[in-house]
Amino acid sequence: MFRTKIAFLPTTKQSDTLLPWVIAVMLFLSTLSLVLAITLGNGLNKWSQGLTTSLSVQVINADSDMRTQDTTQALKMLRATPGIEYADIVADAEVLEMLSPWLGELPTENALPVPTLIEIKLISPDSVNISALKQRLKTISSDIRLDDHQAWIVQIFKLASTIRWLLTAVVFMIILSTISIVIFGCRAGLATHKESIEIMHMLGAEDDIIAKSFDQRYMLHGLKGGAIGTSIAAIVIYMISNLIENLDTGLIGALLPQSSNFWWLLILPVFTAMITMLTARFTTKRALLKLM
Amino acid sequence: MITFENVGMRYGMGAEILRDISFSLDKGSFHFLTGPSGAGKTTLLKLMYLAHRPSRGLMHFFNKDMATLERRDLPRLRRRIGVVFQDFRLFDHLSAFDNVALPLLIKGAKKSDIASHVEELLSWVDLEERMHARPATLSGGEKQRVAIARAVINKPDLLVADEPTGNVDPSMSRKLMHLFIELNKIGTTIVVATHDDELVKSIGAPILKLSKGELEQVPGSRELTDPAPSRSEIYTSDLPKPTDMKAMS
Repeated sequence: MFRTKIAFLPTTKQSDTLLPWVIAVMLFLSTLSLVLAITLGNGLNKWSQGLTTSLSVQVINADSDMRTQDTTQALKMLRATPGIEYADIVADAEVLEMLSPWLGELPTENALPVPTLIEIKLISPDSVNISALKQRLKTISSDIRLDDHQAWIVQIFKLASTIRWLLTAVVFMIILSTISIVIFGCRAGLATHKESIEIMHMLGAEDDIIAKSFDQRYMLHGLKGGAIGTSIAAIVIYMISNLIENLDTGLIGALLPQSSNFWWLLILPVFTAMITMLTARFTTKRALLKLM
Repeated sequence: MITFENVGMRYGMGAEILRDISFSLDKGSFHFLTGPSGAGKTTLLKLMYLAHRPSRGLMHFFNKDMATLERRDLPRLRRRIGVVFQDFRLFDHLSAFDNVALPLLIKGAKKSDIASHVEELLSWVDLEERMHARPATLSGGEKQRVAIARAVINKPDLLVADEPTGNVDPSMSRKLMHLFIELNKIGTTIVVATHDDELVKSIGAPILKLSKGELEQVPGSRELTDPAPSRSEIYTSDLPKPTDMKAMS
């Protein structure tokens, strides 16, 4: 016969029926932004892990004999260096292939003094002191250059970091917008039910009893909207993952979202419900304080 | 039990609606509040059921000074005051039972106690058959009886009724007044605001007469709290006896 909760608010003809859908849209956008930010961070870490253990040495002496002599000495020194997994000469054919976008197709036997490349793989990113290695290579010849890709990696990381901050800011803006919408909705609800609130006060109800009815209602809106928004976002992420799986090369492959990493999406509806509940409680109690 | 001393009331910067209102209500007394429209009856009632604080003056409720009372202490005090409105102010989405149960739920009473109390009270106002009906399906008199049941379920020390007979026919009006007299007999202080001079004359209780925001107290023509004579006089008029209540519904 009774409901444990004091159901003084009617469940029909509410002014806030659209609120769950607005929250769903907000959650959809914030979930996508969050997933993109996290995937970008994880992907770049994974991708840079590969780059920071890869080094290349260029022997750029124009004189072929001198180049060969420098290459032999450098290779010997590198292979003797602890922390280097392997060091190998990149075949001329491969070097010419890498240069072909700029120089066009070149015969292997040509007069062009192409630098000799030595590919180095480190055991781990910090297994070798790169500066010391550079110095030691310089002592062999000033025409030997060690490229640890740092300049490029730093630029890429700066860009990625900016994008991540931007996405995080977007998520915060969406959260703030959701809170504002809940505040407006709650104020509208308070205005709609002003007379009911007055009657409850007159019957001796404390503010907590009244606020509880509002925050429970908004918690359910948050849960419903959160579940819808996150579910749609999860479907979209899954579809995008499948689409870009076919492009699994280099950076794009590393940035592929892994569905197993996104179990935390399940928390989002609960988190949204908590935010909407606390916002509604705070708004209602503040408004009730203005009444006698 | 309740005293007003030089109470004045104005809304915002507007003119004073009540001026220098002073009176006291003893426990178990019965008063009518009369006066023309705009005299300040509703404002005075709002002060009585603690919907507003006065702009000036002192109000004491059950030995508590309203000027020093904290806001958090108001709900407990309000539970000692029952209010009946002319427009009933029932929750339309709740049944008669749930409407009457609200004050007990607010107080945190046990479910089993609530059920027995509400059923008993709805039976007393002759609405046991309409217990699960929603207000929209009840007649004016039935709604008012639900409102009275809701107002008295906490056994209030003070019952304030704003034009309780304004929206009901004369027969129902007499039934409702009888309920108030019954409540008064068990020690509840009653204040009934009304325009109905005939009703006021027939009951003979003291009158708080408001005119242009000022109060005049008119003594009653007979003592309601007196035993048999005055009550029998009431019953020999065309007001119903308690035992007649069911028969008259």
